[in-house]
Amino acid sequence: MTSKDWAIRAEGVSKKFGLTLRQSMNYGLRDIGARLLGRSNSETLREGEFWAVNDASFEVRGGQALGIMGVNGSGKTTLLRILNGVYAPDRGMVQMKGRVGALIAAGAGFAPMLTGRENVYVNGALLGLSTREIDGLMDEIVAFAELGQFIDLPVKNYSSGMYVRLGFAIAALSRPDVLLMDEVLAVGDMNFQKKCYDHILRLKRDGAAIILVSHSPGAIWSVCDRGLFMDKGKVLVEGPVEDVIRAYDDQNSRNAKTSAAQFEIAAGTHAGKIESDNEAGTSAEEVIPNSYGHNKGGTGDAICTNVVLRDVGTEQPKEEFGFGEPILITADVELKETQEDLLIRFTVDAVHYRFIVTVDNYEQGLEWKRVEAGRYSLRVVMKDPNFRPGAYTFNMGISRKTVGVHLFYWFGAARMVVLHPSDKFLYSDNNAIMFINSDFALEAVASGSIVGAPVA
Amino acid sequence: MATDFQGDLRSRTVVRTYTAMGPSLSPLTSLRMAFGELYWSRHVVWHLFRRDFVVGFRQKLLGYLWIVLVPLIGIASFVFMQSTGILNPGDIGYPYPVFVFIGTTLWAIFMTAMGNVANGLIGNTDLVMRTNIPKIGLAVTGLAPLSYSVLVGFVVLAIVMMTVRMLPSAWAVLYPFAILPIILLGVGMGLILSVVGAVARDVTGMATTVINLVMYVTPVIYETKFEHPVLQFIVLWNPLTYLVDTPRSLFVLGRVPNPLGFTLSTIFALVVFCVGIHAFYIIKDKVSERL
Repeated sequence: MTSKDWAIRAEGVSKKFGLTLRQSMNYGLRDIGARLLGRSNSETLREGEFWAVNDASFEVRGGQALGIMGVNGSGKTTLLRILNGVYAPDRGMVQMKGRVGALIAAGAGFAPMLTGRENVYVNGALLGLSTREIDGLMDEIVAFAELGQFIDLPVKNYSSGMYVRLGFAIAALSRPDVLLMDEVLAVGDMNFQKKCYDHILRLKRDGAAIILVSHSPGAIWSVCDRGLFMDKGKVLVEGPVEDVIRAYDDQNSRNAKTSAAQFEIAAGTHAGKIESDNEAGTSAEEVIPNSYGHNKGGTGDAICTNVVLRDVGTEQPKEEFGFGEPILITADVELKETQEDLLIRFTVDAVHYRFIVTVDNYEQGLEWKRVEAGRYSLRVVMKDPNFRPGAYTFNMGISRKTVGVHLFYWFGAARMVVLHPSDKFLYSDNNAIMFINSDFALEAVASGSIVGAPVA
Repeated sequence: MATDFQGDLRSRTVVRTYTAMGPSLSPLTSLRMAFGELYWSRHVVWHLFRRDFVVGFRQKLLGYLWIVLVPLIGIASFVFMQSTGILNPGDIGYPYPVFVFIGTTLWAIFMTAMGNVANGLIGNTDLVMRTNIPKIGLAVTGLAPLSYSVLVGFVVLAIVMMTVRMLPSAWAVLYPFAILPIILLGVGMGLILSVVGAVARDVTGMATTVINLVMYVTPVIYETKFEHPVLQFIVLWNPLTYLVDTPRSLFVLGRVPNPLGFTLSTIFALVVFCVGIHAFYIIKDKVSERL
């Protein structure tokens, strides 16, 4: 994909860091010693080191915008710093053509004692502007930052909004050939943000190459054409921005699932410790508490184990389901005594909401008038789920029509991740949890013509 | 880092290349890179320099008087000790306040140059992490407060000279050049400390403490005419002896007491300066990631 008109080019860029400060100081001194003796630093990992960026390659042309996404610690900021010349790569090469404006440098070098105007000159110089260029841009910068007469006030008296607006205005108006941005589009009020977007898109139309690092799929989608998805320093996805956002969102869902499970284990261990302290470790078997307020509990008349989510076709256990894919739930149920009017129910929690769905045998049209004591295997198929991509937790409960409490309950019995579909781009709201197939129509009142075309 | 610029930094045709640095970097290359980068980033360095200079003044807007008073109070204590006989500066041949003021000013210039260059990177962590201006430029902007204190020093010196009714010699016009070597030495040592100090932060403090001891074997507040042979030897081989003594004698008496000593010390300062730049260039890319 090498072409002549690249503006930013990275080839096999790698950067390693030490995990602890002590180690990093230790290695730092050793590296310095080696350097002074004219020896090259090692390109391999030493104990306690990790690749913050590992073998990243990409190319951005003028007029293109590349979005970099990844969960915290995936190496985005390190990569951006390498691009900005802050860190030297340990392997590989980065090249950039033309004037580089870094919005990570917005407001850099502001001296509180100096007025806004004086700081514009310093910050502008840092962004590669000459004094004459800044003279010419000054009015535009003041107008863009909406500062008015306050431009002659010492910066120390600025509000944080004024400070950021001024920094952004200088960086944005410096007309860079390459623009590096790190999570900066969330500054100021809505109008200012809109102005920032407009300006960035204009820079792009005028031929600037843009790299935007963000956690916001909306920001990435509105600015970028292509993207990188990074995880643990590696570029896992390089391609259309939609694919990158899907990969990022799926990774977030997986992390949400893992961290919820870990939290539960930690909380469970904590609770278990308190209980075993109280009961002085009387039993090695799992004790199911006879009250609410635990992960698992009930009267002890029924016990459910092995709640597993499976692929409907192969019946193999799995934790990641495609969008709209049916889900088979299996479980082992043991009734200690014969039960009448038995009710078994699964509820589902999303990350931010509880009990968004409930499936209950009675609701689904099946009555269990009398179930003998014994062991049973339970199968439930959720046929047309419309969960949006995200992480979900399954809870289960067993009760009886005539009994007001649970014979058994289990929060967090199983977890799953719903992945992004490849034929739809579900970007609009991260908090939404249900997708409902709908038909949209927009008809011009005057002519009666229907506007729009299907998404390609 | 092998940073390679082609063309002017501000032009649209410049191509920046960042690669992992190979082991070989000759001292000449690093010197060329230092001056090249300083030249390319001269606008930025100038603006930062001016910023620090202006800030230095503005923060003291409450009293210009205070700026002048502080060094005067400083020499007052030495003059007091000398007049009561606690301190015996030796046979100087001209008023002691002038001697001690120029001596302490030169020493302060040396320490400020070293300290500010050494802390230039740490003090500008924000700029190092967020902008791509050459790190040598940031180290150099630390000299802004120095030029500020040199200016103030001249004003105070004029006051002191007027008070003791003395005129400087005609050779005093060479004074600004005569203090260059001591600044170079301070900058060179500061450059070395700046890179080492960014990784292990206590090094700068330790070095400063040790060098403060060197003041007692340098003719700053008294003539260093020791009886003890070891002390004599140290004073003789201490380059700072000549770097402090020469500008002062030139300014007051219009003569250079030990031309050979001064020449050798100047060469020493130049060598330290070049070594400083070379060391800085070899290891500077290790600095930002450990700031």
